[in-house]
Amino acid sequence: MAVTATIPRRTVLAGAAIAGLTGCARGTETRAAPPGVVTLNNDNATWAPGYAAASIPLHRQTGYRLSPRAVPNVSAYQQIVRMSAQTDSTTDLIKWWNGYRLQDIARAGILADLTEAWDEAQRAGRVDPTLRASFSYNGKPYAMPLYKSYYAVFYSKKAFAKHGVTPPRTWAEFIKAATTFSKAGVVPIAAAGASDWESIIWFAQVLIGTDPGFYQRLTAGKARYTDPTAIQAMSLWAHMYSAKLFSAPDYDATGTPAHFKDGSVAMTLGGTWNTNAYTTAGLTDSDYGIFLLPQMRLSAPFAVVVESGALAVPINAHKRKAALSVAGAWLTDDVQRAWTGFLKDTSANPAVVPNVSAIRDLHVQVADRQPREMTRYWEASPPALVEGNVNELSAFMVNPHPENVRPTLNRMQERADTEWKTWNS
Amino acid sequence: MELMTATEFRSTVRIPAMIRRKSLRRRDGRTTLAVGLFLLPAVALVGVLLIAPFLDTIYRSFYNDNGFTRSWVGLHNYRTLVADPAFGRSVLNTLMWVVGTLALPVLLGLLLAVGTYSLRWGSIARFSLILPYALSGSATAVVWTFVLRSDGALNDIIHTLAPGVTPPGWLTEWPLNTVMMILASTWQGTGAAVILFMVGLQAIPPETIEAAQLDGALGRKLLWYVTLPQLRPITVVVVGISIVNSLKTFDMIWLLTQGGPGTESETLALTMYRETFTLSRYGAGAAVAVFLTVVVVAASWIYLRRQLRTR
Repeated sequence: MAVTATIPRRTVLAGAAIAGLTGCARGTETRAAPPGVVTLNNDNATWAPGYAAASIPLHRQTGYRLSPRAVPNVSAYQQIVRMSAQTDSTTDLIKWWNGYRLQDIARAGILADLTEAWDEAQRAGRVDPTLRASFSYNGKPYAMPLYKSYYAVFYSKKAFAKHGVTPPRTWAEFIKAATTFSKAGVVPIAAAGASDWESIIWFAQVLIGTDPGFYQRLTAGKARYTDPTAIQAMSLWAHMYSAKLFSAPDYDATGTPAHFKDGSVAMTLGGTWNTNAYTTAGLTDSDYGIFLLPQMRLSAPFAVVVESGALAVPINAHKRKAALSVAGAWLTDDVQRAWTGFLKDTSANPAVVPNVSAIRDLHVQVADRQPREMTRYWEASPPALVEGNVNELSAFMVNPHPENVRPTLNRMQERADTEWKTWNS
Repeated sequence: MELMTATEFRSTVRIPAMIRRKSLRRRDGRTTLAVGLFLLPAVALVGVLLIAPFLDTIYRSFYNDNGFTRSWVGLHNYRTLVADPAFGRSVLNTLMWVVGTLALPVLLGLLLAVGTYSLRWGSIARFSLILPYALSGSATAVVWTFVLRSDGALNDIIHTLAPGVTPPGWLTEWPLNTVMMILASTWQGTGAAVILFMVGLQAIPPETIEAAQLDGALGRKLLWYVTLPQLRPITVVVVGISIVNSLKTFDMIWLLTQGGPGTESETLALTMYRETFTLSRYGAGAAVAVFLTVVVVAASWIYLRRQLRTR
């Protein structure tokens, strides 16, 4: 006869309750991290090796390593930070966005002032001082640049070589190259955005290519989406669609490395952070190159869209002092070398350039042409306005007819009227 | 020792009526207490996890809340919603989903279950139809993305078979995108309806079918007058589940179009998500949630009350 050991029901229930409570305690940040460690919350689970690499010089300089937590869903991540940063359950550091997205949470009083860290970084020449404004609210900086990416054109060297095209220096050359690819059956410009944020990429580009000053006024609420410059820029975008220079708007950007490799896609406009994905997918320097997009209007000053992640310290951080020292050391050469060595992207510290051919080329182009750096549209206006306009732009990309330009811009302006009022109230 | 039953005891020993009533009342009181204790955990769970959050959601819907500051705005969130054309489109899409889900998976499920029930190879046909139901909603959506994207499999086939034909934007043109997503959802969800209708068919007493056949009822007549009336209880369940599922459809749309282009293919569930988690407008999101809950509960209540009425 089989003998079975019976466990009393009460014991099982008590065990489950203890296990549950213990689990809860471990899963929260209600306690300070162990000695020598500061916690960092971010929305990118694949960046953990980069934080580990940066932790080595950080530990040397500050005595602290980073212990990252990741919430890969951006919406969920934002809600977690917005809620937890108001309590003592926050991590010591958080990754956020600059511009109006940073102002959105800084004005709620949940972030620590990083004036000292910025002053020190500027004194040591570790950061471009013009970036400071997009990390500030009411004149005080509340985050350090976590990374800095330029929006440039990645191109397939195979497609360019096969069709005898060289990286263009003028807008006319760019259109000529794209037309060549279109006629040859190669997708000239891959551009996603039918249902996501990527619809802002070309919108911002046609605006800064036409008049960078107008882009700045528009995103600051000092110009209107219905102004002639905006209509002209959007019409140019529509015209490019009519000329069949773009991919379908529901293009899957994750397929770009493979398309570059076989030469079926010629170009795509995107953040330099793409180099990480391209390298991981197996592309080498011989597969792709990068160039800054020429201005559409010849008289327009040369400009480029820049995206910067933000590293902020919640005011309720358990180890606020340690987190402030880590934020202060983030832009030092050693830390940035380790970090960009993983990220394979440009750094906010101009002295640090990763050993990636495309990025080094871009760095030379930036140094050579000294473009005006424009904050990406995503961060350049109040979040609710941008999110709503992303939807309008996605819809426009699906139906990019010239007669759709004015109705789209009218709706964007109506939203701007409402959202600026809300933002300023 | 042999024990008397309560009835035997009562018939043998005459207990005064007053004492008997007291004893019954005491027993009733104890029974009520026991029932209450057994029900308490379930009631507490429903109360804490469903009723309380719902009441909190109603309360929040009257506030302008961005997660940091909160101010009373009364019915403003509801008024803004109703005035928003995107909300109207969202309600329309939700209705399309309800109609589509009732017309396709339920009807197909019924026809397939009845049509394959007594076939020799019916189980194989049913298995192949039920198989997609084993996939998660997310996996199904990813598969259909590969099929329906502009550079997807469906357009590849069209380009191969009919060069020069410009296919429509399966996921980028409204209302085609909603129709295509309903079809994708049908592909996955029909299996569940087939299973439930099969259970219903197995519960039909064979004598009723045999008797009808002896009386000369065959084919459509047998189905219409004998089989379908006996499938009524299970049909009520299948339709009820479909109504609720279609009203809260989220995963398929989120993964295929994210409610786009723009907000054109959004349903109420996606509007609620966008307002709450993308725009961080918790009050407006709560207003959509309340509207959606009222619609789901009202639709379910009206339908079930009508169908489950005691005859």
